[in-house]
Amino acid sequence: MTSMTMVEIGAIEHELRQLWSESAEKAPDGQAVIRALTLNLLACTHDAEHADRMTDAIQQLTASHPSRAILALLQPDAPEPRLDGFVQANCLLSRRGTPQVCGEQITLDARGSAVQQVVSLILALLVPDLPVVLWINNPDPFAEPLLARLRSVVDRVIVNSQAFAQPTSAFVQMAELERAVSSGGLALHTFAISDLTWASLTPWRELTAQFFDTRPLLPHLRRIDHVTITYQVPSGADNPVAGLLLAGWLASCLDWMPLEDAFSLEPDLIRFYLRRPAVGVGTGAIRLVTLDLRPVEAASGATPGLLALHLEALDGVTASFRVERAETPGYALTTATIAGMEPISRLARCEEPSLADLLAAELRLRHRDQTFSDALRVAGLLAARLRRDM
Amino acid sequence: MSDLPNPLRHGLRIGRTPEPCTVVIFGASGDLTSRKLVPALYNLARERRLPGGFSVVGFARRPWDDAQFRQVLLDGVNANSRSGAVETELWASFAEGIHYQPGSFDDPSAYARLAERLAELDQRRGTGGNRVFYLATPPEAYPDIIRQLGAHGLNQSPHGGWTRIIIEKPFGRDLASAQALNQQVLAVFEEPQVYRIDHYLGKETVQNIMVFRFANGIFEPLWDRRSVDHVQITVAENLGVEDRGGYYDHSGALRDMIQNHLMQLLALVAMEPPVSYDADAVRDEKVKVLRAIRRIRPEEVATYTVRGQYDAGSLSGRPLPGYRDERGVDPASQTETYIGLKLFVENWRWAGVPFYLRSGKALPRRVSEIAIQFKTVPTMLFAETPMHDIEPNVLAIKLQPDEGITLKFGSKVPGQPQIRPVTMDFRYGTSFGVASPEAYERLLLDCMLGDSTLFTRRDEVEASWSLITPIHQGWLASPAQPFPNYEAGSWGPTSADEFMARDGRTWRRL
Repeated sequence: MTSMTMVEIGAIEHELRQLWSESAEKAPDGQAVIRALTLNLLACTHDAEHADRMTDAIQQLTASHPSRAILALLQPDAPEPRLDGFVQANCLLSRRGTPQVCGEQITLDARGSAVQQVVSLILALLVPDLPVVLWINNPDPFAEPLLARLRSVVDRVIVNSQAFAQPTSAFVQMAELERAVSSGGLALHTFAISDLTWASLTPWRELTAQFFDTRPLLPHLRRIDHVTITYQVPSGADNPVAGLLLAGWLASCLDWMPLEDAFSLEPDLIRFYLRRPAVGVGTGAIRLVTLDLRPVEAASGATPGLLALHLEALDGVTASFRVERAETPGYALTTATIAGMEPISRLARCEEPSLADLLAAELRLRHRDQTFSDALRVAGLLAARLRRDM
Repeated sequence: MSDLPNPLRHGLRIGRTPEPCTVVIFGASGDLTSRKLVPALYNLARERRLPGGFSVVGFARRPWDDAQFRQVLLDGVNANSRSGAVETELWASFAEGIHYQPGSFDDPSAYARLAERLAELDQRRGTGGNRVFYLATPPEAYPDIIRQLGAHGLNQSPHGGWTRIIIEKPFGRDLASAQALNQQVLAVFEEPQVYRIDHYLGKETVQNIMVFRFANGIFEPLWDRRSVDHVQITVAENLGVEDRGGYYDHSGALRDMIQNHLMQLLALVAMEPPVSYDADAVRDEKVKVLRAIRRIRPEEVATYTVRGQYDAGSLSGRPLPGYRDERGVDPASQTETYIGLKLFVENWRWAGVPFYLRSGKALPRRVSEIAIQFKTVPTMLFAETPMHDIEPNVLAIKLQPDEGITLKFGSKVPGQPQIRPVTMDFRYGTSFGVASPEAYERLLLDCMLGDSTLFTRRDEVEASWSLITPIHQGWLASPAQPFPNYEAGSWGPTSADEFMARDGRTWRRL
């Protein structure tokens, strides 16, 4: 990492060129250095510790998404205005004789009123003709001034709803923003929204969907009338967003609609009622789905997140589909139990993804994730009811 | 393929999982099962691509029980899985579905017991009558197995499930035997149930040939006789015949490599765009290419082919005995371990463009690539550089070991009035950072999902053999060759270089 006291656009570009020349000169014989850029990744935070973790994640991302990363550490409350820039190359270890692939990172450390200069600097440093992704790692991302000022150039905004300071309020705000940008109502240029919490649900969604790839089990999916989502929360906190998103996904896929004001809120249980389409001919009555979110206080050091998803069809032939974290960390146990049949269970990998894994999953998307949009729409409705009563 | 609409599948970032099924492996005590098939199935399970209830039944002569079979497979997975040593808990869950059924391939009672076992698994593990029969046996056993499966009603599934059969190469020894085998198979199974496997087609980079050609607009306009000088397809192995001497001595490079792997590569490179990416549309186009290849008549083999056999030498610093000294090989063998071939695809696109194919054992490197060499510029604009110093543009699609694509073009040397060739290099490993699945993983999963795009159809196999068989007949009618004629660890016989030199060309240095 090379430090500079004065930040000038020309100096940063010059420093980067210098860096690449040095990398090429230092490379062992027969080993080329390839500068590979697939996107502009703008990352912003107000916390120096977060900035270190973000740098680690960006370096790990070089394998799958070599980028020009611009990390902005913004500390507007610092007394003295100051703006420092640093450049570094993020290189993958390579086998001898094979080219070394590197991305590049510019770190901007802005304090006090100098924070105002950062946007103009970022705009000048963007590599043309590549997508621009803005990753906001702060607890109130939709109030981040950088978002408002960069929205005309940004193609994707990445946040993490699990880290929201005011989970339900910010979640509702995210759902409304997503609806606005997906309808194109905000501006000619629109962006997609990604939520790392949604990315973390992928294995849970896969394992749940897999039950119903099976011809005999598929009909039970439309008969589900009870859903229980158990999730782990840190002591003294309650962030239900993972559960809300999973519930929103199920509801949007299965055409369930939350009933207005039909829910109850207790310390260890949030219960919603949703209306589901009737199954079969001549079954015109409204069918209800009971959706329970059950927070469980996490033991010290345990990661917040989902513990179990249980789908049940209790009306008629009893069917139960359960995905739960196994006792061995990194695995999930899935069990399908249908009345009159032997239960079918298996252990499947369900590793805790790293920050870089989650980012990589979202960066692979080229367009809006319509499934996420649909899930967020319903989850936003559920969160709005919670916001009124919490 | 099951097309049931599972609404939870919309927008999921990995593909569908197959319905629960049982894979029955005939020849389960063999090398292929523990080295390739079960590691592939385990990795699919590890990546959550297999459903609950998925089961394996091994069928072979050895008097093992379930526990012994599981232990053999565990050892095999530990030694051969791309994901390293097994994860204990995961293996325990996976192994619950592994069973073993001892029996001879020609013993009817063994098939009756197999049928009972499959019915029991359908009930206990919810496999719904869905079955894949995998023939991982020597080809001599195929007719017995196929006949017995039919005789015991195992060619159709109960409960509305599906039954498919995967047949390993070699699919015949010549056109007549391939046709006979096709008739035996199709007397018991319908063609859509039959999956003839060529693991080369399961390699990611081979699949990417079609993506590269048909998802990029800039190359296809150059992909014909107007721009292409010639095409070279190379599959080189840096191994001897190892413990396959007995088999190989009755096969040789022509039948072991050219008939299947290299012909498939040629077809993918030369085919017209299919109307869709479905199994029959793709295979229709491949068959058209194979049928458009000019037949080499037996009396023309000296003109269009060159062959060799390796002598003692060394590979990667280790001595290798000569082919005739390998176990199971006839000391006076005339079997070729190296072949070079010149083919012409006689259609509008490729008329007059030679396709050079070469494959050999005991060559210096393990490398597979397809190189499209473009025509040189018609006149030289830059007086300081002689025309013969200009190298033609080459687009190389590298299949192994470092999968990727390179494009060679001329560039000015800074500060000097010279032009030098430089390459633009794209490598999968460094661009996506994600390990590619093994070919068998992809192909087993495709079969379970009912997608036969990457499997070989009856007419493809027969079209390929109809090209290969006359060459072999021509060789049999030719005088004995002065074998061995190349040293292990070299790039083949000097006659191979002369073969290219006659056309004013050279093999690529790899």
